[in-house]
Amino acid sequence: MTQIDVFWTILSTLMGGAITAVQIAVGAFVIAVSGGIMLATSITFFHLRVLKLFIASYIEWMRNVPALAHLFVIYFGLATFDIRLSPLVAAILGLGMVGAAVLCDIFAAGFKSLHAGQREAALSVGMTPRQTLLHVLLPQMLRVTWPSLGNYTSQLLKDTSIASAIAAPEIMFFARNLVTSTFETTLIYLTAMLLYASIVLPVSWGFSKAENHMENKR
Amino acid sequence: MNSFMSDFYQHWPEWWPRLAEAAKMTAKLSSAGFVMALLVGAILVAMIRGGNPVLRFAANFFIQFVRTVPLLALLLALYFALPPLGITLSGFWAGVLGLGLHGAAYVAEILRGGLQSLHRGQREAALSVGLTPNQAFLHVVLPQALRVMLAPLVNTYVALLKDSSLCALIATDELMLVARAMSSEYFLPLHIFLLVGLFYFAIAFPLSMMSRLLEQRLSRGRRVIGAT
Repeated sequence: MTQIDVFWTILSTLMGGAITAVQIAVGAFVIAVSGGIMLATSITFFHLRVLKLFIASYIEWMRNVPALAHLFVIYFGLATFDIRLSPLVAAILGLGMVGAAVLCDIFAAGFKSLHAGQREAALSVGMTPRQTLLHVLLPQMLRVTWPSLGNYTSQLLKDTSIASAIAAPEIMFFARNLVTSTFETTLIYLTAMLLYASIVLPVSWGFSKAENHMENKR
Repeated sequence: MNSFMSDFYQHWPEWWPRLAEAAKMTAKLSSAGFVMALLVGAILVAMIRGGNPVLRFAANFFIQFVRTVPLLALLLALYFALPPLGITLSGFWAGVLGLGLHGAAYVAEILRGGLQSLHRGQREAALSVGLTPNQAFLHVVLPQALRVMLAPLVNTYVALLKDSSLCALIATDELMLVARAMSSEYFLPLHIFLLVGLFYFAIAFPLSMMSRLLEQRLSRGRRVIGAT
């Protein structure tokens, strides 16, 4: 086999992992964004001490403990209660829950940056609080936090590599398997890095394109 | 719930020394990585601000590269892919190098941002009263820039501390690897991984709080000059 053939074998194997990596990222992204919006809305608009304390402790726990520990708790730990998740589901759940905490901080700061008059004006023209949130505050908050959301997304795409530690069949998992079978160590890891770059770069480019587009429409 | 807690009490005397030892390793690993990140980050900023276009391009390329590649890929490459090229690193030093290079990209952004946040007039005023460029940097620019940089630098350390858990995958005896070994010995994964999470939390949470306080305190007395 020539070097080129070896490279193609490596690339096609890792591509299979890339699909899993994107699946994990998309699943975690959905959980993180919806969870983050719910948490941020709750601590911004509901003035309940207990609720705020509960959400704050959730956020601090999620943000000050490595994602790897969360994945291990979900994948190995939950088996204690006879909850056995597949590596893929455990990775989506774990990264999504961490992401919800990260995005809650970002979104809450975004809500805070909006002028109070926005809400008052919407209410005074007869919109319900729910409509105010959905049609006035939320879209503006998302626009303000858009760049941070983009950073989070590229971070998330890279963090999917952690899922290899619980044997989710993503890029690094296949890379490590290939190393033990072909010994083309340097080539394999270089290819894996290129693959990550070719996923992360277009996504962050897309986010900044969309940001420019929003700015122009203003 | 009661039996859950009693498992802790029962095993604590055996677990504590092992986890404490591993926590020391984690602290060493992340601190050495952080020191290296500071050094490399400072060099990168010097390259960017030095005026040589080749060096600036190289530094920017490095930062961009590190930011698009997962830390785990970097660590595995340093540990497994360098030996065939004739460089063999132990798990610990591969970890320090990986964390250092990874952190350096973030440190460089913080240092650059901190220096940029100062008004140009600060340096010009210092030069015009007769300070040499080095004096102006050391006594006027740096002290003011430091207060902007301090809180994000603490955050970077916390991030590196958490990231050091990935060194478990390159056989460094830090918290996560010891926890994995213990969980297969005692068959109590939930107890052990929650406990290890608590170890990380005990170091990371106070630092995160400190960085938040620093941010509030140091920005309090700061007069914002009109942007130029």
